[in-house]
Amino acid sequence: MISTYVHSKLQSIPEVQAEISAGKTLVLAGSRDALKQLPRGNWVGGTTSYFMTDEGGVVADDKVFATEVPEFAMEAKVVNYGLGNLSFLYSDAPENGITFLVIPAATKVLKTFAEQAPSFDGFLMHPVVGWVSGVRVDRVGNELPAAFNGKTGEILENKAVALHVALPANKQAELEIVSIFKGGEGDIIHFKDEGFHAVGCHINGKPANLADYIIAKGIRTEFPLVGDYCGCPVNVSIQNVDAETHCVDLFAPVFPGVDYRFAEPVEDYASAFSAVVGADREEPDFACNCILNFLYGKLEGKKTGSVTGPITFGEIAHQLLNQTLVRMYLRDV
Amino acid sequence: MLPDANHQVWGKIVAGEKSVQTGNATVNLLIKSLKMSYGLDRSPANQNQLIAKLHSFFSRYESTLASEIAQIFL
Repeated sequence: MISTYVHSKLQSIPEVQAEISAGKTLVLAGSRDALKQLPRGNWVGGTTSYFMTDEGGVVADDKVFATEVPEFAMEAKVVNYGLGNLSFLYSDAPENGITFLVIPAATKVLKTFAEQAPSFDGFLMHPVVGWVSGVRVDRVGNELPAAFNGKTGEILENKAVALHVALPANKQAELEIVSIFKGGEGDIIHFKDEGFHAVGCHINGKPANLADYIIAKGIRTEFPLVGDYCGCPVNVSIQNVDAETHCVDLFAPVFPGVDYRFAEPVEDYASAFSAVVGADREEPDFACNCILNFLYGKLEGKKTGSVTGPITFGEIAHQLLNQTLVRMYLRDV
Repeated sequence: MLPDANHQVWGKIVAGEKSVQTGNATVNLLIKSLKMSYGLDRSPANQNQLIAKLHSFFSRYESTLASEIAQIFL
């Protein structure tokens, strides 16, 4: 399938260096070592060594996945976001445009974004797509995830970076949230408090402890909780279940007022992705997919439909998502 | 032509009295967000604010939400 407007692919470092030098505006994903070799220019980036390519899932430290912002974009502005200005993320966005956002994993700014983005002025009115940057699984603890501001050359370990792209009036960005998981017909779980840690909850209306429930039911925690947002699935992945403290750590916050169910098990990830991505759909202008899907689904070397892009440590389509494929399309209007 | 913000349907959507079947993730997230806010604060002032946000969204993206608008108003 041919991309509508945006050129994106996994490239060598010299190829990306040349594109930056040619003045292209880019959204980049690569290892810290790879991104550090790039010159200053009109780009933002985030660390990952995992990618979806035309040849299937790839792990590489010497390549960079480059998404080129189309020439019809009117303006592209790079802004760093820390705790002090994160609430302006959506209101800083152009009236009509698309914002690419990269947030390093395990940071306060990520926690704040995950928990508070829905309350920020302009949320959902201005499309924001992006991902959480991370490091190779075997380097967790030895290397920090980072966002890169290519304009200034800054490597950000506790701030996010955004590329606000203004679009002409005849173009609009559309975001898609694609999940291979279904909430199924299981028990309905409600949480009283928002957050990344779940202890108490209500299951089918009765008070319960989530950790005890998971253990007693033998629930496979490689499959997420699925929140029902008026039919749109918002996955929350399980990080850890502690039988002693009776606490469940999550990769994204749960929210009160949302019906959650545990996902029905998916045994063949690659086939499941191919099925939901749809061979008849046009290639998106940007996409990213979750590292947990990559690891649990053993997707290295396997194709996931026609979608390419970085494999990430949390996906962003307006808000933080887990175990999700996010697609962005630039549409004619 | 999109009905103005005074049309009663906007309020029904915010209050969860009218559902919108759509595959558009942003619409689904928005409606859920508005309903959650309304559930926490059912005051007329908040309801009007939520209706204004919903109407503003549909005005902004009217050209790409034709099927949703037809579903709501036809």
